[in-house]
Amino acid sequence: MNAAVAQSPIVSITNVTKDYTLGKVVVPALRGVDLQVHPGEFISIAGPSGSGKTTLLNLIGCVDTATSGVVSVAGQDTKQLTERQLTHLRLHTIGFIFQSFNLVSVLSVFQNVEFPLLLQRKLDKNQRKERVNQLLEQVGLADHAKHRPNELSGGQRQRVAVARALVTRPQLVLADEPTANLDSVTGQNIIDLMKELNQKEGTTFIFSTHDAKVMSHANAVVRLADGKFLDRLTPSEAKRAMAAGAEGH
Amino acid sequence: MFQLFLIAFRNLGTHRRRTLLLGGAIAGVTALLVILMGLSTGMKETMLRSATTLATGHVNVGGFYKVTAGQAAPVVTAFPKILELVRKEVPELDYAVQRGRGWAKIVSESSSLQVGVGGIDVKDEPGFRQVLQIHEGTLDGLDEQNTVLLFEKQAKKLQVKVGDTITISAPTMRGTNNTVDVRVAAIATDVGLMSDFNIFVPSNTLRSLYQLRDDTTGALYLYLKDVSQVPQVQARLRTVLADAGHQLMDNDPRAFWMKFEVVNREAWTGQKLDITNWEDELSFITWTLTALNGLTGILIFVLLVIIGVGIMNTLWIAIRERTREIGTLRAIGMQRTRVVVMFLFEAMTLGALGTLAGALVGLAVCLGVDSAHVGVPEAVAMFIMSDRLHLVVNAGSVVGAMVFITACTTLISLIPSFLAARLKPVTAMHHIG
Ligand SMILES: Nc1ncnc2c1ncn2[C@@H]1O[C@H](COP(=O)(O)OP(=O)(O)OP(=O)(O)O)[C@@H](O)[C@H]1O
Ligand SMILES: [Mg+2]
Repeated sequence: MNAAVAQSPIVSITNVTKDYTLGKVVVPALRGVDLQVHPGEFISIAGPSGSGKTTLLNLIGCVDTATSGVVSVAGQDTKQLTERQLTHLRLHTIGFIFQSFNLVSVLSVFQNVEFPLLLQRKLDKNQRKERVNQLLEQVGLADHAKHRPNELSGGQRQRVAVARALVTRPQLVLADEPTANLDSVTGQNIIDLMKELNQKEGTTFIFSTHDAKVMSHANAVVRLADGKFLDRLTPSEAKRAMAAGAEGH
Repeated sequence: MFQLFLIAFRNLGTHRRRTLLLGGAIAGVTALLVILMGLSTGMKETMLRSATTLATGHVNVGGFYKVTAGQAAPVVTAFPKILELVRKEVPELDYAVQRGRGWAKIVSESSSLQVGVGGIDVKDEPGFRQVLQIHEGTLDGLDEQNTVLLFEKQAKKLQVKVGDTITISAPTMRGTNNTVDVRVAAIATDVGLMSDFNIFVPSNTLRSLYQLRDDTTGALYLYLKDVSQVPQVQARLRTVLADAGHQLMDNDPRAFWMKFEVVNREAWTGQKLDITNWEDELSFITWTLTALNGLTGILIFVLLVIIGVGIMNTLWIAIRERTREIGTLRAIGMQRTRVVVMFLFEAMTLGALGTLAGALVGLAVCLGVDSAHVGVPEAVAMFIMSDRLHLVVNAGSVVGAMVFITACTTLISLIPSFLAARLKPVTAMHHIG
């Protein structure tokens, strides 16, 4: 842990704001957030609905741009990168599990998971096959490789999205409520898988969740409230704080 | 790359109704285009074939003979020698015929007409049989002296039938009028404009009408194996004939009967030869070809615009509907250019399959109509100089049409896919609709 902290951060966010403009109304989703995440960390982002969790993950995942402030990923200031370089970063460095899965409906489960590997063009056909099958096994979808997404349940789709994000073995995985649609057993499996990757390969994970049980696996819980950084706690502190907060209401 | 194709194919398959609709529209335009082109080319071909057979060769050696400066006769004297020279110097020749040329009045008991008179040796004219449909009598009847071939409309006007006698009256070179009585040997089905002002008699009958010698004719009509060789042959003939000591007229790209005025004004006497080609002799009717081309062009253009807008609309909607998917692919790390390529490929596949289907349908219709020998209304028959519809499919232009329409479809889809690929991934992913 200490060794990890000594390294330069893989994600560094400084005074970031994000406004959404709806017609003439400006909705501030993030109002000055600072956050440092170091390689090998397993970080949970918590906060009530609408607090800005998804917005923050989108900025880190380079699929959206901040209104102000600096977002650095893998040592690069994302504002300075061209669209091409950002795309390259998304493909090779980041794995993203979206809150709403976003699978390609015309491709099978196997093809969906394989897709990032095809874009990367690093592995040959057999290597790809092996890697994809291994991941499908791990998320418990080995039997569904040939199915189309619309033939799967919400939880199964979630797991395809997880497999797709992990298949390239990215340095940084962002997960927006990865277990929200899963029963506790499958949810636990996914968390175990993420944890295993985190420990074996040192993959950095940043995930948002409402689930205290999921939070308990994290190194640290970063709490957001109303678009602002609230505090950075250990899982047990967070549990206590949230329990207190719940009582307070 | 394969995956891009796969996505494209799967997408076409998944949205089957839209694919069929779009593909059908594209196929429809292509088929229509192929049919229109077939019709236009066929009409042109028919028209030119009739016209070249009846009124001109591909290349003609004609000319004028003047006894006095102001008295031009459209004749070539001592033609057998020229014919011999031509046969020797023009290996591209398919066949050559000599035709008498005249302008005369034909008189029956009830009526009279002013017409051009062609003098033919029917045995030497293979093209005639293909172009003319004999309504009454036989072409071979023209083998006999003092016979005539009329067209239906003329026969009706003159109120004559095969076997009846009419009188042809014309001024000779010496300025006096001469007449010949001829028997109607054949009546041919009208072939449009040509049949309004042309009749045909045996060469010798024409000679006796104008009191010409046996070695005098109106012009030599040369038919080539390949029409594209006309310019070479024409140029060669000019030098060869000049070298052989013949006087040549300056090139004047008009029909021979439009040249009298000019020739009569010039001071020379004796024989001068005039080398023309079929385009010169038919210049007075090529406006119909131009009109036909223009009409087809406008029709095709309007069709293309209407259907193009429809296709464009549907394609745009189809691509907009997939903005979320584009967002996802971009978020995973697909470059903009590849996204665009993917959509272009999809549009291209659609275009290629659509145009292929359309071309096949169009081809089938063209061949079907052509072999069914469909008749045409009289107004059209007048233009194309044939009473039957003839469609010619030109492989080059069909492929051209296919490529053009596929390219248009692809280009049209370029805009919306470019716009969609340009969005921020997150914006695209949250796109609704
Ligand atoms: N595309 C958008 N346009 C306008 N406002 C938006 C948009 N996305 C988010 N917001 C607003 O930004 C704020 C933060 O939203 P965000 O999605 O980041 O919250 P969240 O913490 O992920 O919530 P949840 O737990 O429900 O997923 C909210 O007030 C939301 O209404
Ligand atoms: Mg969210």
